[in-house]
Amino acid sequence: MENTKKHKRGLGFYLNIYRKILVQDLKSKMSYRADFIISTIGMVMTNVAGFVTFYILFRNFPQVNGWDYHHMLFLYAFSLIALTPVQCFFDNNWNLRFMVQSGDFIKYCFRPINVFFYFMSEVFDLKGLGQLLFGVGTLIYAWHHIGIPVTFFAIAKLLVFLFTASLFMISIMNIAAATCFWIQGSGYVMVIMFRFKDYTRYPASIFSGIFKIIFTFVIPIAFVAYYPALMVLGSAHTAPLLSKLSPLIGLLFFWLSYKFWMLGVKKYDFTGS
Amino acid sequence: MADEVILMENICKDFKVLNRHEGLKGSIRDLFSRDYKTISAVKDVSLKVGRGEILGYLGPNGAGKSTTIKMMTGVLEPSRGKILVNGRVPYKDRTANSEHIGVVFGQRSQLWWSLPLIESFKLLRDIYLVPEKEYKEMLDLYSSLVDMSPILNKPVRQMSLGQRTLSDILAAFLHNPEIVFLDEPTIGLDVSMKAKIRDLIRGLNKEKNTTVILTTHDMGDVDALCRRIVIIDKGQKIYDNDIDHLKSYFGSYRTLKMKFAGDRWEEVLIDEKKDDVMDIIMKMQKQEKIRDIKLDEISTEEVIKKIYEGESA
Repeated sequence: MENTKKHKRGLGFYLNIYRKILVQDLKSKMSYRADFIISTIGMVMTNVAGFVTFYILFRNFPQVNGWDYHHMLFLYAFSLIALTPVQCFFDNNWNLRFMVQSGDFIKYCFRPINVFFYFMSEVFDLKGLGQLLFGVGTLIYAWHHIGIPVTFFAIAKLLVFLFTASLFMISIMNIAAATCFWIQGSGYVMVIMFRFKDYTRYPASIFSGIFKIIFTFVIPIAFVAYYPALMVLGSAHTAPLLSKLSPLIGLLFFWLSYKFWMLGVKKYDFTGS
Repeated sequence: MADEVILMENICKDFKVLNRHEGLKGSIRDLFSRDYKTISAVKDVSLKVGRGEILGYLGPNGAGKSTTIKMMTGVLEPSRGKILVNGRVPYKDRTANSEHIGVVFGQRSQLWWSLPLIESFKLLRDIYLVPEKEYKEMLDLYSSLVDMSPILNKPVRQMSLGQRTLSDILAAFLHNPEIVFLDEPTIGLDVSMKAKIRDLIRGLNKEKNTTVILTTHDMGDVDALCRRIVIIDKGQKIYDNDIDHLKSYFGSYRTLKMKFAGDRWEEVLIDEKKDDVMDIIMKMQKQEKIRDIKLDEISTEEVIKKIYEGESA
């Protein structure tokens, strides 16, 4: 994002701008209290429903492919936290296609700042915070029951791999949203991609053959929890190579998704006035 | 025109459009089709604009106005030709170019929807790295030109269209750009708001010597603000001169208005080179008694209409 030619507009500049927009945005959101309360309740309900489904499933199958209840719960919480950044910071992707179709998107091209940053900075979705709290609570519970030692190294590792995991979902949604620069039906692409996030809470080892390949290399949702979580759950010896490489792959994937998004901006003709 | 801020030489812009076929079979064929046709939106347009000018950039819908503006703002790359804005090639360095221009689209606010105007101003100050002193001076200038008290603390989403346009124009001038592009700034506004907006544009242009490129369909804007106008039609520049010169573009035209029984007015457009006013009056008088006569100068609106309709010689 700090990809500008002017060094005076570096990372610090962008963080400062983002912080100011965020503060103002939160102030105005608080003034719409009913809206705020209803969306918070909605988010809590969604998470409770998700958890109940999960719980009922586990009452009937005490183990999934060698994963017991607490390990599954860990993975579930891990995916909830990893899905928070895409919800909070990149939610404007959902509006992209409307703005591109109506021509309103052009306004993002008139400021001396990065178009991707400017576009994303406009929306901060509070609902993601409820999900984050829910995820953190569940993760602490599962962590405690599995009995992973609480060391500085373990926490640092957790944060690095949560960050990694979040990059994958962000990148998937960036690419899905950017398809609107080329095709009309990009809404479907986004909805389908977003549905896939429900699979992230299961160990990718339950998928077999072609699905495993698809979910690892084509639509890499196995990276949105499973591969990074293995690094936190197990030791470096037992985790597969893809887990170890996941931070690098994640950064590369994000970079590619960003480039794809920006390519769309460049290719887009802005026809009509 | 030694100090020119915009220079365009033989600028062309082509768009590739897929030749679409009808029906389901056609749609499937389109998926794999390489059958493109080229549409020239802008053909060989050359233009120079000097510092401090207010240029009326006119043309019927689809004439290529927006395409030209988009090339000047660096959003689109020209297919051929040379373009310099403030000495820079806009599409090659869109970011640097956008530091020195301001853009307003009549019906699309570029301000933060939920933020009070003053907060949008502060954000823009930070984004454009405007020094605090210059920012204060600009706000003082604004206060001297227009009463900002009803809008300064109002979120943009609660504003009327007129207030929003006013805010957008103020925001576009905030970083003291060399050029401001105004695309139909008075569209949909009432008479008094239109006058207010025109006064503001004139005031800012005068105080800051900002070049203004104004596209509009409202000839009132043109009459009130522009000395020079450029008309573009079907991608080609067909007129580029003073607004006074425009009225004699087709020779001298006037409108002859005659009143007949029953308060019925009829209008005849007179080309003074070809038609004799007395002849026409006499001819009409023979058919029906004329009660009253008026002879009007042709309005800018009528001249432009004639040009758009392609009645030029």
